[in-house]
Amino acid sequence: MSDPSSINGGTAVAMVGKDCIAIASDLRLGNQSLGLANNFEKVFQFGDKTFMALTGLASDVITLKETFRLKNNLYNLREEREIEPQTLANLVSSTLYEKRFGPYFIGPIVAGLDSKTSKPFICGFDLIGCIDFAKDFIVSGTATDQLYGMCESLYEPNLEPEDLFETISQALLNAVDRDALSGWGAVVYIVTKDKVVKRTLRTRQD
Amino acid sequence: MNSIAQKYTHTNNNRILNEITSARDGLASTHQLELAPSIQLPPISQPTDFLRAHTDDATNPDCKIKIAHGTTTLAFRFQGGIIVAVDSRATQGNWIASQTVKKVIEINPFLLGTMAGGAADCQYWETWLGTQCRLHELREKERISVAAASKILGNLVYEYKGMGLSMGTMVCGYTKKEGPTIYYVDSDGTRLKGDLFCVGSGQTFAYGVLDSEYKWDLTIEEALYLGKRSILAATHRDAYSGGSVNLFHVAEEGWVFHGNHNVGDIFYDIKEKEKSFNNVDG
Amino acid sequence: MNSTVASEYSSEVHSTPIEHRFNPYSDNGGTVLGIAGEDFAVLAGDTRQVVGYSINSRYEPKIFNVGDDIVMTANGFAADGAALIDKFKNQLKWYKFDHNGKKLSIKSAARYIQHLLYGKRFFPYYVSTLIAGLDEEGKGAVYSYDPVGSYEKEQCRAGGAAASLIMPFLDNQVNFKNQYVPGTDGKEKRPLRYLSLDEVLQLVKDAFSSATERHIQVGDGLEIFIVTKEGVRVEYYPLKRD
Repeated sequence: MSDPSSINGGTAVAMVGKDCIAIASDLRLGNQSLGLANNFEKVFQFGDKTFMALTGLASDVITLKETFRLKNNLYNLREEREIEPQTLANLVSSTLYEKRFGPYFIGPIVAGLDSKTSKPFICGFDLIGCIDFAKDFIVSGTATDQLYGMCESLYEPNLEPEDLFETISQALLNAVDRDALSGWGAVVYIVTKDKVVKRTLRTRQD
Repeated sequence: MNSIAQKYTHTNNNRILNEITSARDGLASTHQLELAPSIQLPPISQPTDFLRAHTDDATNPDCKIKIAHGTTTLAFRFQGGIIVAVDSRATQGNWIASQTVKKVIEINPFLLGTMAGGAADCQYWETWLGTQCRLHELREKERISVAAASKILGNLVYEYKGMGLSMGTMVCGYTKKEGPTIYYVDSDGTRLKGDLFCVGSGQTFAYGVLDSEYKWDLTIEEALYLGKRSILAATHRDAYSGGSVNLFHVAEEGWVFHGNHNVGDIFYDIKEKEKSFNNVDG
Repeated sequence: MNSTVASEYSSEVHSTPIEHRFNPYSDNGGTVLGIAGEDFAVLAGDTRQVVGYSINSRYEPKIFNVGDDIVMTANGFAADGAALIDKFKNQLKWYKFDHNGKKLSIKSAARYIQHLLYGKRFFPYYVSTLIAGLDEEGKGAVYSYDPVGSYEKEQCRAGGAAASLIMPFLDNQVNFKNQYVPGTDGKEKRPLRYLSLDEVLQLVKDAFSSATERHIQVGDGLEIFIVTKEGVRVEYYPLKRD
C-alpha cells in the first residue's frame, strides 16, 4: 500500500446545525501500521469562525497548513478583516489547482459561520481543488466510507449545538473504530454565533 | 484411435443410466465425511500464480478477494505451565472486518493452537488437526504428544508449500512425558520447539514488553497479567491488532480460559494502575 | 475498435505487453445484512444486481430460504454465490434422504459451509456469505464467512459492497458501541439488551436507505427474511432507483 493518501492515516468530518457548525478530526499519525503520534490535530482555525480540516499525506497537511496560514495573514493585512469561510474555500480551491499535475495528496474541508450573517457554511474538496458544496455534512480521510454510512444515518437538519456535538462525535467515533489507520483520540469544534467550543474525546487506543 | 472407438462403442450404450449414476456419484459421494479433504484447483497451468493475482494484497492491492490478515499472538512457557494470549482483530486492507475473532483454536481439551495469517487456513487446518489427534487417541489408546500433533500440522502445510497457505501458529499443550510444550509451526514449513514466541504483525511490540518482564519463576497470576499486558502494548501501537485480549493458561489438567478483555476498557484501567502509557491523555 | 480509428496514437508502442490472463471473476455489487435477536434473526439484502456501471436487474433476489429454517446469502460474484447456495441446498436434500428427514441445526450448517468454501481454497468463491436462523436454544443466530471459509457466530454483520458504510452504524445501534449512560461522564457504558423485531426492522431499513444514498451499487429494493419459531417470512420494501 504505497498510496500516498493512506500512508499516515487520519479522518475528518464537518456538519451543519441550526445556526452552528461542527468540525472534527481524529488524532492519529502513523507510518503504515505503526502508530507514531496521538496528538496530530487535523483541524485548523483561520480567523474567528472559519475552520479548515486537512487529511491525507501528513507532510502535505503540514505544508498546506503553513501555506494557508501565510496566505491568511497576507489577506488579513491587505483587507484589514478576517477571512470568510466562502473566501477561504475559493482560496483553497485555486491553491490546489495550481498543482493540477503534481497535486498535494490531501482531502480538505472548510467550515465556518459567515461573519456578517452568521450563516453556516461547509464544503469539501478533491485533491486538485474541485469544491463540493454540501448543506448537510462533508467527510474526508481514510475512514470516508464508514463516515458516509454513519453521517447518512445519524444526521438530521437543524440540530442545536449540543445535539450536533453528540451526532458528529458518534459519527466520527464509530467510523474510526472500523478503520485501522484512524483513531487514537479525537477533537471536535462546535462553532456558534457567540462562541467556539473545543472538546477532546476519549477513545479506544487500539 | 482405439480409445476413441471404445468411447463411442461401449460407454454410450446406456447414456441415461450413466448420467444418473454419475450425477448420483457426484452429489452423494461427497456428503460422507472424507478423512483426506480434497481441494479444487483452478483449471489452468499455474494455479499458484492465479491465486496470488486474485488474493495477495501485497503484490496486487486491487485484488478482489481480500483474505483476513493482521494479528498479535503470543505464548510462553513458565514455572506454572503455559500462557497463551492473543488479540481479536481481523483486517482486510485498512478495513477492520472484525473485532471479535477467536484466534485461539481449541484443538482438544489439552491442546491449543493460535491463529496468525490467513484466518480460514488456521481455523480449518487446526480443527482438522483436532480430528487427527482424536484418531491418534483411538488408535494408540493414548493422548497424542505435542511434538506429534505439531508435526502432523507441520507435514500438512509442507505438502502445500508454495500453494499460498498463510499461517503462523503455535501449538501449545501439556503431556506427562513432555511437560508444558510449545511448537511454532508456519506455512513455510518451519517447526520449532521453544519457550517463548510472539507471532503476527504486532509481534515486535509484544516481544518488547514480554522480554523485559519475563522470568521462569513467574506466578500464574503474574504470567497471565504479563501475557495480557504484552498484547495490550501491541494493540496500542500496531494498527492491525486490537479488539480484545483472549487469555488462556495451559497446565497438567488441560487448558483454562481466563477471559476476554476489551482493549477499550483495560487500556485506561492499566494505564491508571501502572501510571504507564504516558503518551496518552485522559 | 480503436484500431479502426486513424490517429497519431495508432503507432504507439505499449511499454508493457498487454497481459492476457484467466479472469473468471466479476463483481455484481449489492449488499447484505444479518442481525440476530433474542428469539428471531433477520437477513436482509438489496435486490439490485450490477456489472460495472450497468444495472442487470432491479429485482434479483440473493437471499434464499435454504430449508430447515435457515436463510442464506452469498454476496459478491453472483454466479459463485448461486453455485454455493445451490450446492448447499442439494447437500441438505441428500442429508435428509440419508438421515430420515432429520433437521440440520444451524451450527452444523455453519460448519458444513466452511467445508464448501474451503474446498475451493485455491480457486475461491468470490463471495461474502451469511446465514441466519435459530440456534439449539431458540435464540437468533447469524454466522458470517470470509471467501475461503473462516467463520464466526455474531450478533450482527454487514457484507458486500456497502459493508463499510453499514457496519459502523450497526456497531453503534445494535451493540451500543461508544454509547454511555448520560450523566456518568463516560464512565458507565450503556447496558446491552436485545432489540425487538420492530426496532431491528427499523434499523435495517435505515441502514439500507443510507447505503442506497451513498453507494451506486445499492438500491432498487430491500428484501428482508425474518426467521422466528413460526418459520421464515419475507418482507419487501422499495428503495430509491436512481
